[in-house]
Amino acid sequence: MADPRMRNITFAQAIRTAIREEMKRDARVILFGEDVGYYGGVYGATVGLQKEFGEDRVRDTPISEMAIAGVAVGAALAGYRPIAEIMYCDFLAHASDAIVNNAAKWRYMTGGQFTLPIVFRSPGGGGAGYAAQHSQSLEAWFTHIPGLKVIAPGLPRDARGLLKAAIRDENPVVFLEHKAHYGFKGDVPAEEEVIPIGVADVKREGQDVTLVSWSKTLTFALEAAETLAREGIDVEVIDPRTLQPLDIDTILGSVRKTGRLVIAHEAVQFGGFGAEIAAQVAEQAWDALKRPPLRIGAPFVPLPYSEPMERFVIPQVEDIVAGVRAYVR
Amino acid sequence: MAAKNREQLLHFYEDMLRIRFFEEKIRDVLLPQKLFRGSSHLAIGQEAVAVGAIHALRPDDTVISTHRGHSHALAKGMDPPTVFAEIMGRRTGCCRGKGGSMHLADESLHFMGENPVVGSNAPMAAGLALAAKLDGSGRVTAAFFGEGALNTGAFHEAANLAALWSLPVLFLCENNLYAISVPLDKSSASLDLERRAEAYGIKGQRVNGMRVMEVYDAVSAAVEETRAKSVPSYLVFDTYRFEGHHTADKQTYRTHEEALEEFRKRDPIHILEFEMIDDHTVPIPTTIQYRDRIRAEIDQAFEEALAEPWPEPDDALSGVYAEGGE
Repeated sequence: MADPRMRNITFAQAIRTAIREEMKRDARVILFGEDVGYYGGVYGATVGLQKEFGEDRVRDTPISEMAIAGVAVGAALAGYRPIAEIMYCDFLAHASDAIVNNAAKWRYMTGGQFTLPIVFRSPGGGGAGYAAQHSQSLEAWFTHIPGLKVIAPGLPRDARGLLKAAIRDENPVVFLEHKAHYGFKGDVPAEEEVIPIGVADVKREGQDVTLVSWSKTLTFALEAAETLAREGIDVEVIDPRTLQPLDIDTILGSVRKTGRLVIAHEAVQFGGFGAEIAAQVAEQAWDALKRPPLRIGAPFVPLPYSEPMERFVIPQVEDIVAGVRAYVR
Repeated sequence: MAAKNREQLLHFYEDMLRIRFFEEKIRDVLLPQKLFRGSSHLAIGQEAVAVGAIHALRPDDTVISTHRGHSHALAKGMDPPTVFAEIMGRRTGCCRGKGGSMHLADESLHFMGENPVVGSNAPMAAGLALAAKLDGSGRVTAAFFGEGALNTGAFHEAANLAALWSLPVLFLCENNLYAISVPLDKSSASLDLERRAEAYGIKGQRVNGMRVMEVYDAVSAAVEETRAKSVPSYLVFDTYRFEGHHTADKQTYRTHEEALEEFRKRDPIHILEFEMIDDHTVPIPTTIQYRDRIRAEIDQAFEEALAEPWPEPDDALSGVYAEGGE
């Protein structure tokens, strides 16, 4: 029997719900990007919003990522709360000047005169056969930039609650979605829910090993944890949800309990965000660690097209199972 | 020049002198005494563009500038002491010492800041204009940039979008002939700079940027149209920077004689002075009085700023994020 307080919806519906609720709540929220209006987004995340809120507030843009991101910065300086969609996170390379040089720093550089409440939404990730220029996981680029917040939810409920918080936040937020995850379903409260930025969530409690993961890989981690449970390995799965600011305390608390830390993410392992978590835990909970942290990420290659190669490069459930199993043993 | 313009001309004259003396102080005092860090991009020679254009705007119209933006900041009304203090890295500077010469801003004056990444302010200007259009505030946004920015993709993306969305924005190009060391004819395939946005339906205009009244008249007409019809305007001002790209520029790419000759022939302040004196709008003693008064004002502004306190080192850690979010 389904919980009447919950609705089982897709990740895309969760995104749309958040934007819709916030656009109804605050007339200063505007949305623009390539194909987000009439078409509803190439992944359907914004279907119906232009019809509901009109062409002034929901705008199709030309293929001009520098302009999309730059217009967001300008509109924010003038008091609006723009949501700018960059169709693929790979194209954030185009938009990065506005995000990294302008949005992230304008407040600081001007001694706090301005606020820049902007959400840069962008889908990343592979698994859909789009090859090297449409599949990257680039969260580490943006967590490295002071002035930005970075959110990478893995479940629809977190996507909805955190996107609402991101839209209400007074700072620029890079909100990373996963293109192969928009159809993933999960329970989302029927009532309004705003999830605070910077708070991790223990998705599964366990005693033997702490497994930290986010975005689509989080769902792989949860699956892996069930498999490992049947083998007698009790995995605690932590979803930081927000990467910047990072709730390291929740991770440290877990590691102090389990003594073991595994980080699994889809991004290239070298210089990936897992390294930051491993380093912070090593610095702050060295005494609690029974062995060195383990990172599970992609090898240092661009993402290949052909399915066997793509699957090989992106960490899968079985990779996490095998990695944790060997690590714990 | 009609007598009825006397007050206005003197206002322009005063603002141009303020910018000139302010920047000469940087060149002649701050630089040799090492009172600022990095480099400072002087607009000496370009004052007529900043003053003529900004006087054609309403006080609540927004302005966004570039690395060469002291002129725009001062013309928009920023106080010399707070700007000096910022350039000298003092806690009381307009940006609390966090921005410096290239990041001057004053929200209360709708001077939204300098953006020293060339071309990067054009999309921001479109965004400011979009906000004004959605508000129905009747505000326009003016974006200043050098001719070097015309070769960036950001400018073209912004121009297309501004035309497509009918945004009330003025793209104001200060053509000072050099992008650091590279002269215009070696960086631009076409010298018809005023045609750069023609394909987007934005009719450009070429203006003598050394005559402040011509700048003022041209921008006034453009502002009127931009405000009334909510459409972008684009103007190119031919000007010249008499100093280097920045204070550390050795200027090996042009001769000293060239800059001197330009200064003799085209200094916008001399041009204005001579015209005012020639047609008896203003007698010579008045120009001298103005010069003395503004110079004294700048001297005092500098002394005031010099006495301002340094920030605490760990002030660096604050102000990265805005509080709150509800």
